[in-house]
Amino acid sequence: MKGEGSLAKMGYARARRLSRDRAEEEVFAPMERRGHIDLQFLLLVLLLLTAGVFMVLSASSASAYYELGKPAHYFTRQFAFAAAGAAAMVLVSRVRVETMRRGSMWLLALSVALLALVLFAKPINGARRWFDLGFTTAQPSEIAKLGIIMSFSVMMCKYGESLRKLKKSSWKSFVSAAAPFAGALGVTVALLLREPHNSAAVIIVAIAAVVMFAGGLDMKLCVAAVAAAVIAAGFLISRAESSYAEIAATGGGDYAFRRIVFWLHPEADPSGGGYQTLQSLYAIGSGGLTGLGLGQSRQKYLYLPEEHNDYIFAIFCEEFGFIGAALILALFALLIIRGFWIAMHARRKFDALVASGITGMLAIQVFLNISVVTNLLPCTGISLPFFSYGGSALVVQLAEMGIILSISRDMPITRAG
Amino acid sequence: MGAVIGRSFILLLICGVAAFLTLGWKLFDVQVRRHGELEAKAIEQQTRESVVKASRGTIYDVNGKALAVSATAETVYIDPYMLKLNGEDAASISSALSELLGEDREAILAKFANTEQRGLPVKRKIEGEEAAAVRQYISDNKLTSVYLSEDSKRYYPQSSLASSVIGFVGTDNYGLEGLEAKYDDYLTGTDGRVVRLKNVAGTDMLFSDYENYFDAENGCDIALTIDSTIQYYLEKHLKQATIDFGAEGGAAAIAMNPKTGEILGMASLGNYDLNAPFDVSDEITEALAGLEGEEYSAALLAARQRQWRNKAISDTYEPGSVFKIITLAMALEEGLVDESSTFDCGGELHGVPGRTGAPYHCWKAEGHGNQTLSEAVQNSCNIAFIKIGLSIGAEKFYKYIEAFGFFDRTGVDLSGESESIWWSPEVFTEPGNKTQLASASFGQTFNITPLQLITAVSAVVNGGNMYTPHIVKRVTDADGNIVKNAEPSPVRQVVSEETSAVVRKILENVVSEGTGRNAYVKGYRVGGKTGTTTDTVKEAAEGVKEYKVSFCGAAPMDDPRLVVLVLLDNPSPSAGYISGGNMAAPVVGKIMSEALPYLGVIPQYTEEEAKQLDVSVPKLGGKTTDEAAAALDKAGLSCQTVGDGETVTDQLPAPNAAVSPGTKVIIYMGGKRPDEAEITVPALVGLSYGEAKRALENAGLFIRSTGVSAAASGASVSVQSVPAGGMTAVGAVIEVTLIDKSIQGQY
Repeated sequence: MKGEGSLAKMGYARARRLSRDRAEEEVFAPMERRGHIDLQFLLLVLLLLTAGVFMVLSASSASAYYELGKPAHYFTRQFAFAAAGAAAMVLVSRVRVETMRRGSMWLLALSVALLALVLFAKPINGARRWFDLGFTTAQPSEIAKLGIIMSFSVMMCKYGESLRKLKKSSWKSFVSAAAPFAGALGVTVALLLREPHNSAAVIIVAIAAVVMFAGGLDMKLCVAAVAAAVIAAGFLISRAESSYAEIAATGGGDYAFRRIVFWLHPEADPSGGGYQTLQSLYAIGSGGLTGLGLGQSRQKYLYLPEEHNDYIFAIFCEEFGFIGAALILALFALLIIRGFWIAMHARRKFDALVASGITGMLAIQVFLNISVVTNLLPCTGISLPFFSYGGSALVVQLAEMGIILSISRDMPITRAG
Repeated sequence: MGAVIGRSFILLLICGVAAFLTLGWKLFDVQVRRHGELEAKAIEQQTRESVVKASRGTIYDVNGKALAVSATAETVYIDPYMLKLNGEDAASISSALSELLGEDREAILAKFANTEQRGLPVKRKIEGEEAAAVRQYISDNKLTSVYLSEDSKRYYPQSSLASSVIGFVGTDNYGLEGLEAKYDDYLTGTDGRVVRLKNVAGTDMLFSDYENYFDAENGCDIALTIDSTIQYYLEKHLKQATIDFGAEGGAAAIAMNPKTGEILGMASLGNYDLNAPFDVSDEITEALAGLEGEEYSAALLAARQRQWRNKAISDTYEPGSVFKIITLAMALEEGLVDESSTFDCGGELHGVPGRTGAPYHCWKAEGHGNQTLSEAVQNSCNIAFIKIGLSIGAEKFYKYIEAFGFFDRTGVDLSGESESIWWSPEVFTEPGNKTQLASASFGQTFNITPLQLITAVSAVVNGGNMYTPHIVKRVTDADGNIVKNAEPSPVRQVVSEETSAVVRKILENVVSEGTGRNAYVKGYRVGGKTGTTTDTVKEAAEGVKEYKVSFCGAAPMDDPRLVVLVLLDNPSPSAGYISGGNMAAPVVGKIMSEALPYLGVIPQYTEEEAKQLDVSVPKLGGKTTDEAAAALDKAGLSCQTVGDGETVTDQLPAPNAAVSPGTKVIIYMGGKRPDEAEITVPALVGLSYGEAKRALENAGLFIRSTGVSAAASGASVSVQSVPAGGMTAVGAVIEVTLIDKSIQGQY
């Protein structure tokens, strides 16, 4: 690859040398002095976090007023969690990557245990996804995502070489190398589907793919997987196109299929299947180029459901217009680019894979969420990192940012500088 | 590690660049390219329009007296959709509303069953305490499924006055009949709107400054030419006439200012209460009681339409002899006759070209003999008018008919004006057949509306100028600017001033000496013409003779300021001899006797009339017998003493009562008048004035007369103000209407 080659030439000789080392653990120098955290990454996180917390205030004020009588109810909670999350981020950034690496498989075990345990929790809206902690609720799937990233990174370091090339001669070793990945992912996904929590399952599969891709999985397999996904999507779309009128009229079709139908034709059932999508588009479209102004959203007055959760970005678009939305997109893009940049400059393969995995997960969530609110993709329940209301998820997200910051401290260029 | 860097870079490109370019493109598409479309849809669902009702204009009479006004009211609506949405209890709400509004509980409950619907009216146009009670109920129970909406209610302060002219509005405040319908566009105004943002529940959005006002434009006010007082006189006397003569087919009266075409009053009986236009009279309700189902609805509808009908413009009839005014004017204008012309009437006329069978008969079988032109009109001689008509000729006659506006509608600003029915020009002017011309000359074989006739007669007496009759004097908008102003200007001159003067003189003779005597009013120079026709079509078809009697009068004849037409349709044969002169002329006379002084026309009494003027009884209390007698004598009254005290202690009639001259006033010298509570009024109809006076005096009552002169040879009582057998107080003054029945004939 051209990128690979040119980057290599850019003089990161140390990185190249390290990549050749078979046992990377050896290069860890236990009590080595660590470098600075990556300030650019930290700044981008803090900017997005600030924007997100204040957006919760604006978006949730109407529903908080009508439903709870306290317009700032969600904001104060989110603010507290943001503060806690920021503290967690700083704390985690001080933990050595080696320590994390050692705990990776334990984290996977813990997350599987929690996913199993949550199946015995009290169902909320027919699903068992949450533990009730009293002051808040927590989703073990958030831990599971990190668990998959960490464990897959460890495993890719260990078995990655066997997965780099799929050859007839090495078929057996490929399968035996792939088995732990399949096992970990299979158990996790099976438990998530049992909750049920399909969107988390989709994200987990995607981030697993990201880590494996970053770890050097055979390109043929990657291309084949993408091609299969595209074909499956095309097939679903053509089926939905041919029967949308009937489904809109009769209310038939299964849950997932209906989502595809009303993704393509939200206007076919504006008060039912297409309601949320249309309301979101009304909000975004109302914003125009410059928006209605801070706090001036009209769609938040109970028109748009989930206006401070999954659909908070639609309210943001309504209030700040395309210019504001593009600015947020740019911040997210810069954060993600910086995250991958850190991965590229990471000291060890494990560091690089974890940074790629976390950044990839962030990118996937941002992309899916904004795609859903703009109806680029069918409606699924995916929250927008740093923006959507949800205390425990925010703390976990910030802690994950702390992991990347910790990784950034070990970057050779940081240490050199 | 190199592979990891490369793969990470690919991820950077996909996740950090490609994904965000895609999102940016999609956002641009939704936010910028589809902005207008999506914003419009969003606004549509986010805004709530509340209507600011424009207030409907007021209808005033010529003096600014309100005839139709609007006041705010409220209508109670229920919202079954919200009921279902918020789980409110239909049964208890229905019970409460039923109790508060007096509406049927089951009906309200049934409305609540339409859970997909919103805004079903439960009771319209409630006011004051009723509305407040409902509002209280709504707020007490925090209901979302019941609400009040601003509405307006039309009031007619004068109730039934001019009902057939003014008309009424429906529940949605649109004019349904009369002026309310005709001038609806002016009266309605334009509703305003307030556009506010709302939340999903439909209440105002918090913290929102988005609000758009579109002001309501209130309706225009309308000032009529109608004068309530004259309208009242018309209705009062017309009503009395229908009681006296039993006009089964209804009755109509129009009062017009001949100098402008302004309609001063227009009445069509039966009247109805404009505040309850759908209620029919008790008699009709009784008559319909036996009917059921569709038959009942149809009969009720017909009865309502009858009571709403403006007979004065909507019904056509054969005017009969009143039309001779027009024929006379034509002949005078053409110079075919003058005051010295004479006409011989032998009771029948032979030899009219085209007439087969019986000859034309005059209403007076033995004929009128040789008459001057004026006498021919006074006698209402058909033979003379056939001769006059024939001398005018069909073409010219037809031309005048057109000039007098009989072919077209008058163009009055009222709805429901009927078209006249005439012979076609080919038939009318057919050579060798003069029968149409002959009949038309005395007002038969065609149909016109009363308004057409009075408009033409007004032209004849005002100096020959046709005016377009109108009823709206001025339309002003809510700010008082004049939107429309009726400036009467003559449409055309049909006859000359000279012709008009001669006609006026002859018409005055009709009242002073001829068949119109019963329209005589003391002190005023009243002129006019009688008319009596039968419905010839109905007579031929059913063998029933149904009369239409009418009289068209004008006064004062030297300079007419008021023209009045009265039409009684199908009077009862039991009410006396049926003729315009006997039945319609006295009504016109009575209307004139009140309307002329009201209009400020100064009466000028002849010596003879002066003697017969009512006198006011002087106050005699405390006077001695001689003083009292002197005072009475001075007032033209005589006196009868009861008791032998020093001074007058009581008197009958009471001071200031208006009585006929020569009335014997009873003075009590010591003691009081007898305190018998009631006296039975004797029967007076048919008696002469003297006989009636004696009969009343014997009963302890007094007389006062209207109508023809008490001294006229054939004067007899046609109507008494208290019917025979009725009870009244001692010393009351009974008013009698005298008519002259000396000429019996259907002229």
